[in-house]
Amino acid sequence: MKLHVKMLALALACLIVGGVVGYVIGSTIGVVPMVEYERIKSAYDDLSAKYNRLISDYNNVIAELNALKKPLKVGFIYVGPVLDYGWTRAHDDARKYLEQIFPWIKTIAVESVLEADCPRVIDRLILDEKCDVVFTTSFGFMDATYEAGVKYPDKIFFHCSGYRRRANVGTYFAEFYQLYYLNGLIAGALTKTNKIGYVAAHPIPEVVRHINAFALGVKEVNPEAKVDVRWLFEWYNPSKAREAAEALISWGADVLAFTEDSPTVVEVCEEYTTKRGKPVYSFAHYSPMLKFGPNSCVSGQLVHWEVIYADILSKIRAGYYTNKNLENVDYWWMLREGAVELGCDYGVPINPKFIPMLKEKYIDHPEFGRISIYDLVMKRLEQMSEDTVVFDPFTGPIYDNKGRLRVEPGRRMTHDELWTIDWFVDNIIAEVPR
Amino acid sequence: MDYITEFIAMMVSASTPILLAALGEIYAERSGILNLGVEGMMAAGAAIAFYTTLFTRNIVIGLLSACIAGMLLSLIHGFISITIKSNQIVSGLALSMIGLGISSLIGRNLVGTPLRNSLGIVEIAILSDIPILGAFFRQNTLTYLSYILTAILWYILFKTKIGIAIRMVGDNPKSADSIGINVYAVRYGCTLIGGVLAGLAGAYLSVAYTPTWIEGMTAGQGWIALALTVFSAWNPFYALIGSYLFGGIRILQFRLQPLKLSPPLLSTLPYLFTIVALALLNIERIRRRIGAPQYLGKPYHREEAWM
Repeated sequence: MKLHVKMLALALACLIVGGVVGYVIGSTIGVVPMVEYERIKSAYDDLSAKYNRLISDYNNVIAELNALKKPLKVGFIYVGPVLDYGWTRAHDDARKYLEQIFPWIKTIAVESVLEADCPRVIDRLILDEKCDVVFTTSFGFMDATYEAGVKYPDKIFFHCSGYRRRANVGTYFAEFYQLYYLNGLIAGALTKTNKIGYVAAHPIPEVVRHINAFALGVKEVNPEAKVDVRWLFEWYNPSKAREAAEALISWGADVLAFTEDSPTVVEVCEEYTTKRGKPVYSFAHYSPMLKFGPNSCVSGQLVHWEVIYADILSKIRAGYYTNKNLENVDYWWMLREGAVELGCDYGVPINPKFIPMLKEKYIDHPEFGRISIYDLVMKRLEQMSEDTVVFDPFTGPIYDNKGRLRVEPGRRMTHDELWTIDWFVDNIIAEVPR
Repeated sequence: MDYITEFIAMMVSASTPILLAALGEIYAERSGILNLGVEGMMAAGAAIAFYTTLFTRNIVIGLLSACIAGMLLSLIHGFISITIKSNQIVSGLALSMIGLGISSLIGRNLVGTPLRNSLGIVEIAILSDIPILGAFFRQNTLTYLSYILTAILWYILFKTKIGIAIRMVGDNPKSADSIGINVYAVRYGCTLIGGVLAGLAGAYLSVAYTPTWIEGMTAGQGWIALALTVFSAWNPFYALIGSYLFGGIRILQFRLQPLKLSPPLLSTLPYLFTIVALALLNIERIRRRIGAPQYLGKPYHREEAWM
């Protein structure tokens, strides 16, 4: 063989051997890193998933912390001036109180808002003032509040005295009829002429309900007494309130109650009692009015809106109320919840000047036997303040003043019936205007 | 009998504020100045009277400050309608809003404060014992003042030279000017009288009738006074009668309610009467007889001599 042929064969052999060896080595080395890589990658994925979870948890905590630091912005929309000495002032006093007790809220109030302007005021509160919660405090704001709930589904709205609710719109009201009933008990005991007057603003169910509750109280202690009503057809007109009160006094009334937004009736009664020698007694409405009638104002109705507002806001803060679950949230709070108080001033359920008179006057009561008026009032007050509310003035039998049986014996009127009441009980000689 | 006496007493006290305001407005309008700001001047008067009476404990100071407040507000109207010769209707309406605004500003912290020394009822010895008519003499001092003012203002307007000058300025300022009456001075004077009495009318509400301050307590009585001015055919004596008619309707509202007479309908009656009066006053013969101010609401431009 020629030398170069040998060389070629050797080179070929080398090439084959080298290739085989190279292949074997190469393949062995290649398999090991793939397995290792897969293992490391899965470990890495695990860790990164854990990391992401931790990060998102951390972010949530931070967000919650920030939410706790960020105040809840609450807007109030009022129908009247904050100094009307009645409705709007009571709401505004509650707002100021809330700012004191809850450091985590910031409030803003807009007063004297016309019903037609309500949607724009809500827009302003939500968009400019960045309110999280908006309270609207007039029946006339109901539709505007509901529409705003549709327009801003992530905000929370509460409407006072209405009935339209949705996922983010709730309703609330502090109801007085129990107090009017208690005032009626006192009025029935105090009257000497058996004529009792009532100055009323508008013939709406709320006012009709209050007049009825008052008359039911009168009837319980004095079935002889009659209640007559004069309508102002205005919430607010002091001169007319005076004229209506004087018309009732000249009819012979010697006790007056009222539902309108000024202390005029109390003043007129004080004037007759102290200056004209003709005692006429009265009951404060909505605000403490004892100072207007120290000698004639016997008791009255006071409101504590702050109780309702505090409940709503702390539940929103705790996440219990959200923009998804207010469909059935309707506050209809009375004595039991502490939203209303009997009295002509805070902490004065009955004017001390009248307590001896009421303690000395006894009646024979079908439920309690012989009992003084003062004890009867306190007993009923206690019964209605209990958790189970063992007594309700609107319990049958109740006849209207046309002689029709409206509530069967033993039955209590329902919330809906009371909400739409449009007839007078049988010891009222007036009629509900149509 | 008692019922009627009581009714008359309430009617008179309910009518006093509109009578006082209308008496002032009669003078303003007789001189040709239509001041629609009565409601505002009354509200400001009511707030200031309440404020000063509360802090000085002196009703006279309270009443005087109400008069001054009404006067200052009417001065604005006088300046705009007499000196600048601008539109009196716009100025008057603006004045009524300014007055209401000022009143709620002053009254901000007075809401819910009772007034201890309000103006009470003073019975005049022998007169108050007359059956029925005695009711006129069981009133407060401001009501007695309104009787006296009606007589004095009627006398001045119809029986004195000053009255002739005032009526002439309202009827034909040019000829008044030509006989040497200072048209601007007369108009200013009458506008100020209107302001003073409107302020006093407001004070009556806040220190005598319903002694409290609450925002918007005039509740449209200024507008009724304006209606009364036209209804009375710019005559103080008729204004007295008209105010008792309007006041009587107000009182009746609550007495007739048991008879199912609609109160909103009754409360429109003063305005209905006024429309009827306006229609009658448009009849030329009646207009002549009564002497309605021909130049009412029109500014007077004095044509200066060139040479």
